[in-house]
Formats: sequence, C-alpha cells, structure tokens
Amino acid sequence: MASSGNKNINAKLVLLGDVGAGKSSLVLRFVKGQFVEFQESTIGAAFFSQTVAVNDATVKFEIWDTAGQERYHSLAPMYYRGAAAAIIVYDISNQASFDRAKKWVQELQAQGNPNMVMALAGNKSDLLDARKVESEEAQTYAQENGLFFLETSAKTAANVNEIFYEIAKRLPRLQQTPNPSGMVLVDRPAERANTASCCS
Amino acid sequence: MTTVRGAAAALNPAPAISFDHKRDAYGFAVRPQHLQRYREYANMYKEEEEERSDRWKDFLERQCESAPLAINGLPGNNSAIKSNVESTDSTADDSSNNGAEAKHANGGKPDNLSEENKEAPSASETKVHQVKIWAEIRSSLRAIEDMMSSRVKKVNLIKNEPVSGMRKKLSPIEEARPGKGASEEDSDEEFYDLERSESDPNLETLSADAIHALDTGVDSHATQPESLPPWKEELECLVQGGVPMELRGELWQAFVGVRARRVDNYYYKLLAPETNLGSKNTELDDRNRESNVLESVGVPEKWEAQIEKDLPRTFPGHPALDEDGRNALRRILTAYARHNPSVGYCQAMNFFAGLLLLLMPEENAFWTLVGVLDDYFDGYYSEEMLESQVDQLVLEDLVRQKFPKLVNHLDYLGVEVAWVTGPWFLTIYMNMLPWESVLRVWDVLLFEGNRVMLFRTTLALMELYGPALVTTKDAGDAVTLLQSLAGSTFDSSQLVLTACMAYQNVQETRLQELRNKHRPAVRASLEERSKGTKAWKDSQGLASKLYSFKKDPGSVIIGSDKPEQSDMQMNGDVSHLDSLSVDGDEEIDPVKDLKEQVVWLKVELCNLLEDKRSAELRAEELETALMEMVKQDNRRQLSARVEQLEQEIAEIRQVLADKQEQENAMLQILMRVEQEQKVTEDARMFAEQDAAAQRYAAQVLQEKYEEASAELAEMEKRAVLAESMLEATLQYQSVQNKPQPSPRSKQAQQSNQDHSPEIPTRKIGLLSRWRDRNKDPNDEKSLNEGQKLSPKQDNTNGHEVQEKV
Ligand SMILES: Nc1nc2c(ncn2[C@@H]2O[C@H](COP(=O)(O)OP(=O)(O)OP(=O)(O)O)[C@@H](O)[C@H]2O)c(=O)[nH]1
Ligand SMILES: [Mg+2]
Repeated sequence: MASSGNKNINAKLVLLGDVGAGKSSLVLRFVKGQFVEFQESTIGAAFFSQTVAVNDATVKFEIWDTAGQERYHSLAPMYYRGAAAAIIVYDISNQASFDRAKKWVQELQAQGNPNMVMALAGNKSDLLDARKVESEEAQTYAQENGLFFLETSAKTAANVNEIFYEIAKRLPRLQQTPNPSGMVLVDRPAERANTASCCS
Repeated sequence: MTTVRGAAAALNPAPAISFDHKRDAYGFAVRPQHLQRYREYANMYKEEEEERSDRWKDFLERQCESAPLAINGLPGNNSAIKSNVESTDSTADDSSNNGAEAKHANGGKPDNLSEENKEAPSASETKVHQVKIWAEIRSSLRAIEDMMSSRVKKVNLIKNEPVSGMRKKLSPIEEARPGKGASEEDSDEEFYDLERSESDPNLETLSADAIHALDTGVDSHATQPESLPPWKEELECLVQGGVPMELRGELWQAFVGVRARRVDNYYYKLLAPETNLGSKNTELDDRNRESNVLESVGVPEKWEAQIEKDLPRTFPGHPALDEDGRNALRRILTAYARHNPSVGYCQAMNFFAGLLLLLMPEENAFWTLVGVLDDYFDGYYSEEMLESQVDQLVLEDLVRQKFPKLVNHLDYLGVEVAWVTGPWFLTIYMNMLPWESVLRVWDVLLFEGNRVMLFRTTLALMELYGPALVTTKDAGDAVTLLQSLAGSTFDSSQLVLTACMAYQNVQETRLQELRNKHRPAVRASLEERSKGTKAWKDSQGLASKLYSFKKDPGSVIIGSDKPEQSDMQMNGDVSHLDSLSVDGDEEIDPVKDLKEQVVWLKVELCNLLEDKRSAELRAEELETALMEMVKQDNRRQLSARVEQLEQEIAEIRQVLADKQEQENAMLQILMRVEQEQKVTEDARMFAEQDAAAQRYAAQVLQEKYEEASAELAEMEKRAVLAESMLEATLQYQSVQNKPQPSPRSKQAQQSNQDHSPEIPTRKIGLLSRWRDRNKDPNDEKSLNEGQKLSPKQDNTNGHEVQEKV
C-alpha cells in the first residue's frame, strides 16, 4: 500500500509476467543501471528498493520481482496483495508472453487492490526484427483496461526509468492531499461500480 | 574444485557472458559487495577444509577397521554383479567404469565429470545414451551408503502406500523384486518393468535378480550400522561440521541412496524416447488409462522450451557449465521431466541439477536429483506447489513462537516472513546465502533425509539477524536488510551449528503435525483459485446448489477454465451463467415448464450473487477499516508511550538542571574559598617577609650590641689597666708625698663599681690624668700640671667618653 508521511511515499510495486519476459532485467536496469545478457532465473521472488523524486515528493518503491513460470503463479498473490502498483511485462518478440500478460491483468483486476496503478511493459523493444506483438494492439488493450502502456528495453534502457516515474506520478497519494486513514474506505464504494459488473 | 578446473579445461569457449564478477573457489560468482568479506573468509574456509579432511580420513579409517564386513564383503559382490550387467551394455562403459573404480581404490579424487567431458563430444553426436556417465562411489563410503539406503527405503515404504492403491497391480517381475519395489515409486517401477520386458527380457530378468540379490545384501548389512548408534552419531557430528569438498559429491550420493535407487539403463531410455518408440508408447498408453492424463502424450516436449530458456540462465558464466555442461544439464532436466511427468520441469531444478553436475557424473547427478525431488521435496515443485505453501505456514508458526518480538515488529511494518523465506526454501538457499554456507546446509539436509534443515537454517538466520531487523523503520528496509544479511552469512560454521544445536527440538514429527494442520487451508485456497475469479467461483457454488447437477460442474469448469481463462473472464459472468444454464438445460430439457423456472432462478441467482459480492466487498472494507484501526491503535499506543518517554525525559532534564545549578553554587563557593585562601597566603607571605626583615634588624642590632660590648670590655680592661696604673702612680706619689696614700686608692676603686654622684669628678679626673699621661707618658711633670688644671678639662673629657660609647 502506498503510505505517506510529508510527501515521502512508500509504494509496494510488483512485477508480473512470463518466464524470460525481462522482469528481473527491468528492475536491475532501474535499480542498478545494469544489464546482463544472461540473467539468472528468478525462483520465488526477489526484492529491490529504489527511490525516485516526482513533483517535489519522493517515492520509495518496494519492488517485488516475481518468478515467471506458470506454477509459481500460486505464490504471486502473496506478493501482489496490498501492492500500490504493478508492472505487467511481456516480451514483444513472444506472442505467448503477451497472452500471459493479459491473464495477469485480469487476475489483478479481480483480486488486486482496486486503487492499484497498473502499467503494461512491452519489453525487449530493441528486438525490432523479431517483433511479434504490434504496439498498436498492446496500446489498444491497455486503454481498454485502464493501464498505461510503454515499450521498454532493459538492454538499451529505453523507457525503463520513464515507466517507473510514470507510475510514481500516478500514485493516488501524490495526486490528492494525503489523507492517511480514511482513504481506503472512502475510495472503495466508488470502485465497486467498476468491479461489481455482474449480471447487469 | 578439481572437477571444476578439469571440466573447464576441457571446454570450448563459453557463450558470450559478462565476466566482470569475481568467482569463488567453487567457480560461482561472488557479488561485488561481498568480495571483501569473501576474501576475509577464504583462508578460514581453507583451514576448516583441511581440518575436516583429517577428521573424515580418520573416521573412515576407523570405519574400515571396525566394520570390515560391510566394506569388503558387500561391495566386492556388488561390483561383480554390476560389471556383469554393464558388459552386456557396452564395452566402453565397462572399461571406463573399471577405470573409475580403480581410481577410487587408489584414493584418487573424483574427477568423473572431467572424465565424462572428455568422452562426451565424440559420443554425444551419435548416441548420447551410450556415453558412460555413471560411477560408483569409493568403497570406503559404502558403509555409510548402506546405512542411508536402508533409511531411504523405509521412508518410501510408508510414503508409497496410499499411491499404490491407485495403481494397477504390479507385473510379475515386480513381484519377484520386493526389495527394489520398495525403494521406488510404483509408477516408475512399472515404467522400468515395461520397458525392460519390452526391450530385453533376458537382460532385465538378470538385472532384476541381481538387484534383488543386491538389495537383500544391503538389507542384511543395513541392520548392522543401525545397531551401532555411536557410529551414526559421530557421522552426524562430522556432517554438521561439514563434508570435505573432495568427498562431497560421493557422500551426497550416499546420503540420498543413489545406488539403491538406480536402475540400469533407465536414464538412457528416458533420454531416447525416439529410438524406443514402441516401448514408450505402450508405456504411455498404459499410463493414460490409469491416471487419465490425456495431455501426457505430448508431455515431454512441453517442458522443452522452458528448459531451453533456463539453460543459459543457470549459473551464467560458470567455468564448468560450458556447451557440454549445458548439454548434460539439458539431459538431466529432460530426463527428470519424463521420469516424473506430474511434476515435469520447475524452475529451481535447473540450479539443483547444475550444482549436482559440478560434483558428480551425469547419471549420478540425475539419480541424486530424483532422490531429492521425489523424496525430500515431494509435492514441492509440482504444478500446485502445495507443500511449499504448507511449509511456509508451518515456518510462520515456528518463527512466531520462537521470535514473538521480531514477528510483532514485522507485523507492524506489514512484512510477511514468507516473502523472504519462500524463496529461501524453494532454492534450498542457493543464491540466497554465500556458497560455502549453501553447501554446508545441503550437507546436513541430504544427510537427514528430510526438510528439517530448511526450517532450522531459517530459524538460525532469524536468531542471528532478528536484533538488527527490529530496528528497521519500514517494510522495504526490513526486507532489504534481511536479504543482504543472509547474503553475507559467510560464517557457515556458525550458521550450521546454530541451526543444528539451538533448534535441535525442531523435529520432523512436529513439522508433520503442523503440516497436517495447515494443509487443508492451503488446499482449499488452491481449489478456490483454480476455479478462477471470485465471481466465477460464486456462481459456481450457487449454481451447484440451485441445480444439483449429476455431472460434477467443478470438473467441467476446471477442464475448460485453464486453457480459456482469459476468454471466460472477458465475456463476463453472464456467459458463465449461460453455459451453466445450457448444462442445466441438458438435464431438464424435456420439461418445458421448467424453462421459466430457470429464468426466474437465474434472476434470483443474479440477485444473490450481487448480494454476496457486495457483502464480500463490505467485509473487505470492514477488514481494511479494522486493519487501519488496529494500526491507529498501535499508533496511539506508541504515541502514548512516546509521550510518557518524553515526560520522563523532561523530568530527567529538570533534575539535570537542578544538579547543574547546585554545581554552579558549589563552584562559586569554591572560588570564594580559593580567593580567601589566596589572600591569607599573601598575608602570610608579607608577614614572613616582615619577620625576615625584623630578624635581620635584630641580627644587625645583636652584632652592634656585641661590638659595643666587646668595645666596652676592652674599655674596661683599659680602665682596669689605667686604674692599676693610676694606683701604681698614686702609690708612687704617696710614697713620695706621704699624706694619706691608701684612702685614695680605695676611693678610686669604689668609683669604678657604683656611680655615686661625687665620684665622677674624681674618676674623670683620673682618666684625664691617665690620658694626659698617655699623651706624654714620660713627662711626669706635665701630668702633674694636668692634675692641677683638672676642673676645666673634666667636662670635655667626660663628653668625649660618652660619645665613644
Ligand atoms: N534483447 C533484450 N533482451 C532482454 C531484455 N530484457 C531481458 N532480456 C533478456 O531476456 C532474458 C530473460 O530476462 P529476465 O530479466 O531474467 O526475465 P524474467 O522475466 O525475470 O524471467 P524469470 O525470472 O524466469 O521469470 C535474459 O537473458 C535477458 O538478458 C531486453 O530489453 N532486450
Ligand atoms: Mg526474473
């Protein structure tokens, strides 16, 4: 949950996506400014933290980089529960990873925190020749589902910092005056309209 | 270490990998922030390793002496059987096997991997499965292996009971080998047997008999070490102190009971399904009929892409994992996925297999992996990862119980222990602790034959780092700190000994109880999730109540849910209901009236669903509110405490101020006293000076007085002299004049003693006469004349005398 104290915000952020989509690489680029050709597979999850300054406030991201393999899915709720933001990553050179990303979006919409800021990252944008997912398609999908979308490359660093900054800017506590305790309760009823669309 | 170097030397250049990391003695990358500490510990590791080697050598030697039967009797028998079997297999196999055995007999290092690698390139191009990739462990470790193998069987016996009920009756060959059957999962058993009877019946019966003989042999000997508890205890101590690198690969195999698990050719056949298509298919058909897993026809290939992706992502840049190393890794992982299709391939296995490959030959690594995954970690890496989740709940119980303060703090920060410990367990600490510590944990874990060491290690880490953790201020800091502290646990002996000693009472039986307690909840939540989203789940639950289907709706839904989850989701709940109603219609189609009822029920259902959903949302809201309230409450309590503390601080400040004031006063007094002291001191000095001056004056006076008295004395002498002279003169005169001689002299003497008023004139007269005579002593006449003139001169003479004095 994003929690605030005098414009210093802690925000839990979770990365979700298929095996090898580049979740760990994105985090490594953002946190350490590095990229390695062969990043070790993530088992379970790994934690990182990084602070960014936006609009004269600072946001300290508590980043959970999760494992991509389908069966590790069962551990994911532990990490996205209570998260203020999520980046769903797919590999633009891999259609299956895009399908998987859509599943994650649905799961978060159904199970996640309703105030969650969600970003869709089409990673490996440097691999233009191998592109399998058109950015228009992803853009449309993102718009329909209330996400914001960027094509990133952990390798070239394109749009990596941008996607994290954009998330920081969109965190609810940054846009409104801080209201620590009542917030969640106040916001919930409004959200209900979106999620409870059953049988209408 | 030799293996690593040997293998590295035999390799083609590795794929482009960034080599900017430093590597440790095992060839693993050391994180830059840990380089310094690693270097500090490297020497200690070396010393420990030497000590360890000596201790083990000593132990094994004593072992040889005390139990010659176990070592000399059985293995000889066994190797004879083995070479029998293998000679029919391939001659290359046989010779290299003998070579390996000879080497071990000489006490040489287990260079098997490099040996394999030298052979691999030529053979792998044509017949991969023919490459010799198996070696027996050295004979001095046989007794340990026997003891461990017997234990493995017992565990399996218990575990396999429920499974065997679901399986088909075992084949006749199986029944002829009761010992063997006990050590393997029934499904595998069947697999081997079918293959065997299919491909080479004669050989298989032979090998089956041989194994049977071997097993009974093992059993008869296995009872021996068990009747020697001190021996086992000593071994346990040695293992906790660490296994020497030179023996590690072989001891691990002994612990896991690889020789008892191994079935000849099984590994090769797994790897070559294409060449053995016939047998494979019948095997699969059989399997399908049994377990009703339709996809399993295409299964082996399902993992391929996944494994392929992870090959370069397993210890990237490790010198031993070059092209050949990665091919071996691929084979092991593929073989395991085919061996246990219900688990298949799970990320993490790549690291396990990679590590094992660094320590032992390929097939040995495979069987060790099979042992670890099928026995030690049964249910851990399967599709649902059920046991992994259960273990985290059990761990949370234990941590909560042992470290209540720490858990309170983490709760307050909103940190779940499992976030961090989940990956620890799943990786068996690989990449989470420094390598030396990882290997030491594995030593104990493999020796113990269960997952107890996972728990003990985490508890030890919490004990070591809990005090630091409670000082953290937010969730991020806590997790970062815990991760980085764990990552720098270079003191592996401290870690392992803390784990084994301080948490001795964490036992398998207790863990099993806790697991049984938590398992139902995990299973329930897994089932819930497998049914899809909440709304979906709701509709299903209600639907089944409303329309009591004959068909189990769950199975229908689950079947279609997995592949098409996304579609269903997008279509929304209505479509689900439609599909349900279709199902319902199938059931009640004949009765037209019911259609109306169905519509009504549908509406009702929607209402109910909506109610339930809003109730759920409300519940969630309330929960959140409660959480906030709890947080607020905590905050209030904290702020009360802060206030109290602040008050205390104020009081202390006040006291301090008072004290300071007192001190000031004291200081002033002190200063005044000091001043006074100074004044008196001055006064004393003055007085002293005065006294000195006076003393000096007194001295001067004394001197003067002495001088004066000396002069007086002289004067008196002179006076006496003068008087005597005067007397003499008077006498002389009286002699000459005759008148009254004596009375005069008497008078003169009197005048000298007391100063009667009339005497001075006489005296003066005398003196002046005496002087006059001195002036002119020889002139008696002038003296006489002077006598006559005396009244005048008396005054002046008297004055002169006074002055002199
Ligand atoms: N060309 C290119 N390759 C990338 C990029 N990002 C990641 N990769 C490569 O893709 C592979 C997988 O990247 P990871 O970051 O490990 O992927 P992941 O999503 O964390 O995978 P898991 O941990 O298994 O779930 C690595 O070998 C990376 O080098 C990118 O932007 N461009
Ligand atoms: Mg990763």
